[in-house]
Amino acid sequence: MLEINDLHASIQGKEILKGLSLKVGAGEVHAIMGPNGAGKSTTSYALAGRDGYDVTSGQVTFKGEDLLALKPEERAAKGIFLAFQYPLEIPGVSNLTFLKTAVNAQARLRGEPVLDAVQFLRVVRETAKMLNVSEDMLKRPLNVGFSGGEKKRNEVLQMALLKPSLAILDETDSGLDIDALKLVAEGVNKLRAPDRSFLVITHYQRLLDYIVPDYVHILADGKIVRSGDKSLALRLEEQGYDALIGKAA
Amino acid sequence: MSGNTSLDHLLDVMAGRREDTVPWLGALREEARTLFANSGLPTRRVESWKYSDLSRALARAPEGLSPARPAPVLPGTHLALFENGVLNESKSALAEIGAVPLRQVLADPSTPFASKIGYVNPQKDHALLNLNTALMEDGLVLHVPAHTTLTAPLYIRYDWEGEEARAPEGRHLRIFILLDEGAEATLVEAHSGTPGFSTIVSEVRLATGARLKHIRFDRLGAAARQSAITLGELDAAASYKAFYLSEGGLFSRHEALLNLAEKDAQAELDGIYLVADGRHCDNTTVITHAGPDTASRQAFRGVLAGDSRGVYQGCVRVRPDAQGTDARQMSRTVLLSRQAEIAIKPELEILADNVKCSHGATSGELDTAALFFLRARGIPEAEARALLIEAFLGEVLEAIESEPLRACAAAAVADWLAIHAGEIAHVE
Repeated sequence: MLEINDLHASIQGKEILKGLSLKVGAGEVHAIMGPNGAGKSTTSYALAGRDGYDVTSGQVTFKGEDLLALKPEERAAKGIFLAFQYPLEIPGVSNLTFLKTAVNAQARLRGEPVLDAVQFLRVVRETAKMLNVSEDMLKRPLNVGFSGGEKKRNEVLQMALLKPSLAILDETDSGLDIDALKLVAEGVNKLRAPDRSFLVITHYQRLLDYIVPDYVHILADGKIVRSGDKSLALRLEEQGYDALIGKAA
Repeated sequence: MSGNTSLDHLLDVMAGRREDTVPWLGALREEARTLFANSGLPTRRVESWKYSDLSRALARAPEGLSPARPAPVLPGTHLALFENGVLNESKSALAEIGAVPLRQVLADPSTPFASKIGYVNPQKDHALLNLNTALMEDGLVLHVPAHTTLTAPLYIRYDWEGEEARAPEGRHLRIFILLDEGAEATLVEAHSGTPGFSTIVSEVRLATGARLKHIRFDRLGAAARQSAITLGELDAAASYKAFYLSEGGLFSRHEALLNLAEKDAQAELDGIYLVADGRHCDNTTVITHAGPDTASRQAFRGVLAGDSRGVYQGCVRVRPDAQGTDARQMSRTVLLSRQAEIAIKPELEILADNVKCSHGATSGELDTAALFFLRARGIPEAEARALLIEAFLGEVLEAIESEPLRACAAAAVADWLAIHAGEIAHVE
């Protein structure tokens, strides 16, 4: 599904990723854990194609295609979904309008038929219900006045509607209390599927109690320094980053 | 030089027209002509014309004429059609609402409007107003009697096309609207095509409790040169509520000069300007709070692309007797290109103690984080930019109460965005 090979990326000339390599197979859940400044957000932005995150060397292929040659919207249409650590508030654009625009833009980019207003409303209402997103949240301007938990649930709603094959969750747990976290994780788990992979990026092990990964990788100073199964995350929780990164180095 | 306008030529034309006027008009014209002869055309040395160089625009030979976009069709309105500055009576529906062609009023020695035209919020030092007074020929007079509501909007369409639109002395129109006590009306204006040089002065006199809604769609061609002035005078509890949309031109300026003369008079001005390529678009307002407890609110939003230039000058004057004034003013601008320019000049002149006055101005690029968020959801860049710009303008559009007029404004915005929202790639 996703193959990252020796990826180097810089922000304003400062190298943040220094040779990141990772393979994610179809249906797998990978967690990337790392201390502050390790390059977690840079990894997610570089994969989603944000301007200013310059890939200086290395390759990323997604479903066999060169991902780095694509614009952000083309990556999205190919099936990459980035759940933002801090979802943007956009006053003046209703959540519903945004969702419909996104779903239909992707359909157009893929050459698929677009949904009319009635079809779309039916789909969005069903999905929102499944994910505990209220009717009110659909009508309000995008993320404006949403609580932290509501914003993240709204991200999961977008994921459910856009049906990506790779979802990257960028520190989805940040700013959430335990109840909100459970609710969001529950939503994510409902979307797990044999043809859908997840890359869960987090600082803390806590999220992985609820979204259980197949593989855990530790990111430090711009590259993966250790990989293992979910027990690696538990050891990390016990011993801390210094101990495990130190051992690897 | 065909199509160019010089001061000498304007003065010659004024002199030639002195003879054939009725006495009241002759006196009005003579004063205006003298004042104009002394001031000449406004130059950048005049403070309120610092950012808009009319003389330079008039000296430039207008380049290629872009085809006129059709003016909006607005069913259920009373049409007054001006073709190249001349009223086409057969295509207009004036009788039903009692509107009278200006030519008829100007030729009438005993018209009741003799002491009214030229007396709404007078500005003796305004060169273009004097020019217009000295040369006005065509236009319209509308009088709505007390406690009467105009059943449907008066829709004044100004179409400019071909060589006739480019007389060297320009075309100078005057609209005079008088709403008596408690009367209500809606005025819609649409400007399209390419006037060589036009001035349009609209005088709006609102008696006690009268209410006027005023919608301007200024969608002139790239080579258009036009300066329009709306003069307003409001008695007690009268209300003027406006929405101005403008796309600029070689030179395009609209001034709203309003006097809130008596207690509780209020003015609300919302404006959107969308300016592309090398166009120039100027929105200037001067609101005088003369009566106590008067209120004004202004919200202008601009989007500038290409190497266009926008100007917003908003002046609020609070007279010593205007205690309890509430004046608010906000200007926000998005620049889509590094070559585009905006000049914003808020000005407050407060001579009363007990007032609430605020002003604010912002300008900047589209939010790149929001843009990335939308693109990461699969929305192509041009569409994402258009969505953000529409959101930026939305609040002002939504303030238009009439559904068909709001739809008309939204369609103009969508038209413009379809061409210009995506034309500048995001530059790192």
